[in-house]
Amino acid sequence: METVLDVVVAGLLLGGIFALISIGLSLQYGVARVLNVAHGEFIMIGAFVTWVLFEAGVNPLISLMIVGPGAFIIGFILYQAMFNYIRIKAPSLDAFEGNSILAAFGLLFVIQYIALIIWGSNIHGYTYLASPIHLGTVTVATNRLVTLGFTVVISVIFYIFLALTRLGKAIRAAAQDPATAGLMGVNIKRVLAICFGFGALMAGVAGVLLSMCYPINASMGLHYTIIAIVVVVLGGMGSIVGSFIGGFILGIVGSIVTYFDPGLSMVAYYLIFIILLLVRPKGIMGK
Amino acid sequence: MLEVNNLSTFYGNIQALWEVCLTVEEGEIVALIGANGAGKSTLLHTISGLIHPTSGSITFLGQRIDGLSSHTIVELGISHIPEGRRLFTDMSVRENMEMGAYPKRAWSQKDQTLEQIYQTFPILKERAGQLARTLSGGEQQMVAMGRGLMSRPKLCIIDEPSNGLAPRLVLEVFQIIESLREQGITIFLIEQNVRHTLEIADRAYVLENGRVTLDGTCKELLKSDHVRKAYLGL
Repeated sequence: METVLDVVVAGLLLGGIFALISIGLSLQYGVARVLNVAHGEFIMIGAFVTWVLFEAGVNPLISLMIVGPGAFIIGFILYQAMFNYIRIKAPSLDAFEGNSILAAFGLLFVIQYIALIIWGSNIHGYTYLASPIHLGTVTVATNRLVTLGFTVVISVIFYIFLALTRLGKAIRAAAQDPATAGLMGVNIKRVLAICFGFGALMAGVAGVLLSMCYPINASMGLHYTIIAIVVVVLGGMGSIVGSFIGGFILGIVGSIVTYFDPGLSMVAYYLIFIILLLVRPKGIMGK
Repeated sequence: MLEVNNLSTFYGNIQALWEVCLTVEEGEIVALIGANGAGKSTLLHTISGLIHPTSGSITFLGQRIDGLSSHTIVELGISHIPEGRRLFTDMSVRENMEMGAYPKRAWSQKDQTLEQIYQTFPILKERAGQLARTLSGGEQQMVAMGRGLMSRPKLCIIDEPSNGLAPRLVLEVFQIIESLREQGITIFLIEQNVRHTLEIADRAYVLENGRVTLDGTCKELLKSDHVRKAYLGL
């Protein structure tokens, strides 16, 4: 019984990170229509910046406040400068999606190799808030709990932002029908860039949180990109709630499989992905 | 109010509009009639900035608007109620209405505007909390029209509002369009239902193969042999 509880708690802790990175990818793919395969590279950069700053004496929670806005600005500019140009040049939305994946692949390699040149291929890490907390019979590291707290709070705040604010509604409208949103007065180019920026922000923040709990290396990104793609499909394309729930489902699955054999977690994710595509390709919350 | 001058637009490689000229004066209902594929939607999309013309000009209240993007054109006071309603189906009726008030100037007074529009469309108040996709076709058309008014437009471009509606609802839609004119909104109406359109409009243009082939007051057009034969089936 205790083992089951341990595994579930570990799954929830992992699921929080999955949820956050998947909401980010969902914004970039579901709204801005860029299947950003370089998503994980933003996670990696977030993690490395936090590590470098930690070595220089900066508290990771302060890094969170630096990396988040920084990633947003970079994502926003990247969309305006690169993806928007591809969007305007593309004859159709399908062509844009194809071309933007290629561009994102380029981005993946550029970012990853720059990181490899700067930081090498070694594994790095630091210790922060590692003291154990006892929750009844379950013992978890403080940093994992902090991570879960941040992921849930950020997701909920973002959900409320989408539901209630003028810009949030514009984002949802643009996700459904960009041309009509434009007729309503929404500056589509700007809104899509903002979505891409938010996606980068969530990846960056996830990177900061990950670096507090796990060792990091320059080629860690793709692993998380794949997880995020699986979760986005699992949750339903473009559904923020779906990505949130899907993240936790995948986290718990990962935690259960890891309990038996850590090497098999990716196999389990792919298996879920394949079964999903066969049985319910539109995902949990998809229409 | 709106002046379209020698407008030519390409749709891909095909020229869809050939030197189209038309004007809409303040307070008028001006209709544009024409068969499927005559270029009506292309003309509307060009006016509202979804497509840009290759030559010619569009002037609204003395200002050139060709080449501006659609969100800027809305802010100037032109509202485009698109064909096929194009609601945000996963948002509530109320949220759809709020999206109509997206321009900053309209957003600040959206609650008052909404109350006014509920008087014209009482059904929207009843359905406010429902998702737009759960509504019937007629109700969806009401949402589309209400949403188009939320930006407090000076000119309303309405594209095929009666398309796919039951005859009783078609009449209601035309009555609403007339009542909008009484509220001081200028209307540029595109319709396949030529008979009703010519009854409520002041003037009309006939678009054929991307060219304006005929224009005049509706009385004149109702007498025209060509219009009677080609559009009224008489």
